[in-house]
This record gives sequence, structure tokens and C-alpha cells, in this order.
Amino acid sequence: MKKYWRCHVCNDIHYGIKPPEICPTCSFKDAYVEISSTEAKKIQSLETEMDKEKFRKAIGEFAERNEFQVNPDRDKVNMLIDGVFSCDENHGMKYCPCRLIAKDFEEDLKLVCPCNFLIHETYKDKEDGECWCGLFVRRKK
Amino acid sequence: MKKLIMFHGRECPHCHVMMPLVDKLENEEGIKIDKKEVWHNEKNADLMRSYRGIIEPKCGGQLRTPTFMNTETNDIVCGELEYGKLKEWATR
Repeated sequence: MKKYWRCHVCNDIHYGIKPPEICPTCSFKDAYVEISSTEAKKIQSLETEMDKEKFRKAIGEFAERNEFQVNPDRDKVNMLIDGVFSCDENHGMKYCPCRLIAKDFEEDLKLVCPCNFLIHETYKDKEDGECWCGLFVRRKK
Repeated sequence: MKKLIMFHGRECPHCHVMMPLVDKLENEEGIKIDKKEVWHNEKNADLMRSYRGIIEPKCGGQLRTPTFMNTETNDIVCGELEYGKLKEWATR
């Protein structure tokens, strides 16, 4: 079962079965201690907001490190980002605007953008694969 | 009686692609497809969720939009379709 972990040096928060051996923020070794979700939420509430432009930049940087890219169709991307933010405003998370939540929080985490679309049939083993909504497309070789 | 529903999302690009084809089909075939937006209308969302067990096995295990459903036969197609395929679903 996943738990929350806090780096005792820099307050970096990790959510996972086990903590990172090296803190990715301050590089200390074996620096994490288990904490409650309430503590984690308090620390995470200090995080900055994510507006549409920050989100666009974040998904761009995320894609750069991977085999896919953000769809070059800017109109489509704009519509999808509007949808993601509508979901965040109306339903509390940045859900995919092309799939409906089941109202099962754990299950619906699979729909938070970016989702793990690499395993989906619309992407996997497809030369022109893309995530279901088309926000991410496989980079041309 | 046969009832055809299109579940769609306001900010879903696939739905935007399909909408003119749905309109064309309605005009050419004289049939009615009930368009239900699911991300901004909770009643429509609940209706789509009520068909979860029927829709998900045919749409990649998820409630994807657009989903086209015949509520009499539970005949379902989803995603972007060519006009011919959409017509085939609506008229069979």
C-alpha cells in the first residue's frame, strides 16, 4: 500500500510504497520518514497554483523526456487544456475531458492527465499512436 | 422503441469532429440522435455511468467520449468514426 514520505532535510514529499533512496530535491541519502496524509496535505498546500500556461509548459517538458510529444495541433491542444481545467474546477482533478469519471476516486486517478496512455490500445504498438484524447502523440522517427 | 444517444464532452475534440456527421445523418436519414453532454451536465453523466457495464467492455474498458448507444439493443460504438460506420450503427 502506498504511503506518504517526507524528506527530513528539505520537506520533499513522496507518495509510494517505499521512499526514494536519494532525495531528488536535496540529494540526501536515506532522508525520508513516513508521515500521515494530513501532514502531507499541509505541506503540499504550500505548492504554487498551476494555471493553463504552466500546465502547457509542464506537459511539454514531460513529453520532451519521452518518446511522445504534445500534439502539434494547437487548436486541439487548447480545447483539451480548457477541458482539463474545467474538470479540475468542476470535479476537483485534472481529468481527461474525453473520458468520464466513474465516481470511484482510486479508479478515476487513472483518468488524471497525463494518464498512463502508453498501455492503451490507441497508443501501444502503433506507429501513429496517441492517447485517447489526442493530447499526446508518438514522436515521428 | 429504438433510442439513439450520443454521449459527448464539450471540450472533447473527437466529439467536435463527429458532431457535424451526426447532424448530417439526422438530416439525411430523418432520425434523431439524442446528444448528451456529460462533463458539464451531471444528470447526463449519471445516465452514462448507469450504462457503465454495457459501455466499458466495448470502449476500451472506459467511459469514453464520444459514445454512440442504441438503448434498445445496447449496440455501441465509440470514438471518431467514418460517416458510413456511423450510419451503419444508426440504421441497423
